[in-house]
Amino acid sequence: MDNKGWSLKGSLLPLLLLVSELLLGQSVASLPICPTGAVSCQVSLRDLFDRAVILSHYIHNLSSEMFNEFDKRYAQGRGFITKAINSCHTSSLSTPEDKEQAQQIHHEDLLNLILRVLRSWNDPLYHLVTEVRGMQEAPDSILSRAIEIEEQNRRLLEGMEKIVGQVHPGVKENEVYSVWSGLPSLQMADEDTRLFAFYNLLHCLRRDSHKIDNYLKLLKCRIVYDSNC
Amino acid sequence: MKESVASTAVFILLLFLNTSLLNGQSPPGKPEIFKCRSPEKETFTCWWKPGEDGGLPTNYTLMYHKEGETITHECPDYITSGPNSCYFNKKHTSIWTMYIITINATNQMGSSSSDPRYVDVTYIVEPDPPVNLTLELKQPEDKKPYLWMKWYPPTLVDVRSGWLTLQYEIRLKPEKATEWETHFAGQQTQFKILSLYPGHKYLVQVRCKPDHGFWSEWSPESSIQIPNDVTMKDTIVWIFVAVLSAVICLIMVAAVALKGHSMVTCILPPVPGPKIKGFDAHLLEKGKSEELLSALGCQDFPPTSDCEDLLVEFLEVDDSEDQQLMPAHSKHPDQDMKPTPLDPDSDSGRGSCDSPSFLSKKCEEARANPSTCNIPEGIEKPENPQTKVTCTWDAQSTRLEGKIPYFPADGSKSSTWPLPQPPSQHSPRSSYHNIADVCKLAVGTAGASAALLGKTDAHALRSSKTTETGGEEKAAERREVESFHSKTDQGTAWLLPLEKTPLISVKPLDYVEIHKVNKDGALSLLPKHKENSNQPEKPSPPEASKEYAKVSRVMDNNILVLVQDPRAQNLAALEEPAKEAPPSLQENPAEEDLASFTSAPSSCGLQLGGLDYLDPTCFMHSFQ
Repeated sequence: MDNKGWSLKGSLLPLLLLVSELLLGQSVASLPICPTGAVSCQVSLRDLFDRAVILSHYIHNLSSEMFNEFDKRYAQGRGFITKAINSCHTSSLSTPEDKEQAQQIHHEDLLNLILRVLRSWNDPLYHLVTEVRGMQEAPDSILSRAIEIEEQNRRLLEGMEKIVGQVHPGVKENEVYSVWSGLPSLQMADEDTRLFAFYNLLHCLRRDSHKIDNYLKLLKCRIVYDSNC
Repeated sequence: MKESVASTAVFILLLFLNTSLLNGQSPPGKPEIFKCRSPEKETFTCWWKPGEDGGLPTNYTLMYHKEGETITHECPDYITSGPNSCYFNKKHTSIWTMYIITINATNQMGSSSSDPRYVDVTYIVEPDPPVNLTLELKQPEDKKPYLWMKWYPPTLVDVRSGWLTLQYEIRLKPEKATEWETHFAGQQTQFKILSLYPGHKYLVQVRCKPDHGFWSEWSPESSIQIPNDVTMKDTIVWIFVAVLSAVICLIMVAAVALKGHSMVTCILPPVPGPKIKGFDAHLLEKGKSEELLSALGCQDFPPTSDCEDLLVEFLEVDDSEDQQLMPAHSKHPDQDMKPTPLDPDSDSGRGSCDSPSFLSKKCEEARANPSTCNIPEGIEKPENPQTKVTCTWDAQSTRLEGKIPYFPADGSKSSTWPLPQPPSQHSPRSSYHNIADVCKLAVGTAGASAALLGKTDAHALRSSKTTETGGEEKAAERREVESFHSKTDQGTAWLLPLEKTPLISVKPLDYVEIHKVNKDGALSLLPKHKENSNQPEKPSPPEASKEYAKVSRVMDNNILVLVQDPRAQNLAALEEPAKEAPPSLQENPAEEDLASFTSAPSSCGLQLGGLDYLDPTCFMHSFQ
């Protein structure tokens, strides 16, 4: 499974990059990508954003598929949706709720917000992988996606930190993020409770990954293309 | 008092309900929200389906509350999106928030509520189709023309800020075609089509999809006519070419018609037929292959003797009176019996049926049913180049009577089968073609006894098989011989069933004792009912001398003339206890006769490649 994830990852990212280049239909006049081990290397902001958007888009796709699969397989007729109200651990982070709010917020703040959300998901994703593995007859599709999401999330975080370093360097904010305390629920013996915990986690992941993707695309169009995507 | 009021109220209520029922009025049925959609992720609309209205004007209200709030709101706009809809404008729309929406239907009779519907605007985005689709046929010089199309994103969608990212898809087809040709265009808003059919009218459509949403509807069709690319100049050229070729064809036809055959011959010379020197096709037609092939200089077709190589050697039969020859082997064992003179100097292949196992196998088969025996292969007797013989068990070919095949007492030995034919025999002499025939002959003789004899022959023949079933056959043999014995008189000759392989045998073979020896020295044999204690079964190499008994001939249809084969002792024998049979012979009073016989084979026998072959003439002399 890991091998598949790794190989997927290894082949996917360059492919995604290529695809994104084609899709944008613009010649990307940018510095070459930094080889590993290079000491001083400047990747253009455009490239960084392109890569970040690709990653965030991919992560949301995975989350969406994972949620749909879980919902179809385990959550039918259990009425989980009625209970998954206001139950995400990241709701404490004040994120914009519509386009106007998102456009009013300053891009630095928005970037920091993205970072916070990403950091808030490090822990839950790690435990998600562990717990899904331990789940009885955990389907391959869910587990593989969970592993992939965890990996990509980490890379996106690194990329975002690079972007922040370029957009407003020098300011290193304290690592603020929401603490996730849903682990005991994931490990409950009662099947219904445990399944709802999974459902809720995947539901929140789907939502937050969409938020990140949306914010990044807004930022990209705003910063790189000057609001003229 | 109160009770009376209450009861009155109930009564009135019941009356009222009854009245309404009688009128066909009822509270409204349950409505249902069937679709919610956002065209640009900034507003959204929900539509519902009313239930039965119960015959009364029904009022529908949409109530909702948002995730994280406790206040319930009513739909802000029932109009904009049409009947039975609720439009949430930008102010009332929050993304990444769950809406819990319910419809209430109320009429005079009562009300009902729909099931709550959970809506998150994030996941219900379905934009309008792209707009302003334009088609243009571009014809660069010296290049093929292509179709260039351009469109714009739907007006409501905000792509410039990146709020939504759209991907497009176009499809086109010639007007008359049934299948659309679809192309994915990515995020670009233009597209080129290069492969076009000239002279056709094309229809084109485009649609779009947000990055995490649903495909829009197809835009209205745009059409364009592709002009024919055949110019006037080309047409003239083609017409000229066509006329020219028509003229040439006419000329050719005329020439052919006039000149006729000679022209054709000139143009298309006749194809020479195949010719083989000396080959006369007529002969072939008549089917006289021999003549035909002789004309070709081919000989021996179809091959007759080549098969001998495969089939080892033949048994030759000489049906001259005093010659007891084995039937020559041939592949066509039935009626086609050709007597072949005994050739003492050459290996006439006698012994092809010599292998007792071989023979016995065959005779066994023959006994089972008249059928063709296969050539058993791989009969290994190192010292004897065994030859194999096709054994056909053709009942019809039974001619010889009283012919009992010569069978070796020692399984290891394969011997020829001189078929003794008593001079008194006037039965038709016919050559045998194989052991089966011989067997048959034996069977055919003298009716039942002969038949039995034949059967026992089969057993006898089988005796020297190296690998054979043991006990059962022996038992069968025993039974047969016994029955034989019971049926026949003393005139019947007894066969000496030979030992079967002891390797797996359980019971010994039947032994025969020499019942008597007549003046001629013929041994009449009796089956041994008891195991010969004197000859325990020994799977050891054959002992010296006298163990091996050969049937030299059969006399009078039922007398088996046995001779000893002194060569038996020399053979590195099988482990078969076939020696038991010979020892039984030893005990017999005819031993002295045997002894006299002993000498005979040595002088008469011709050892050919390990095959024992006895010249019957010798025996005749010795007997006479």
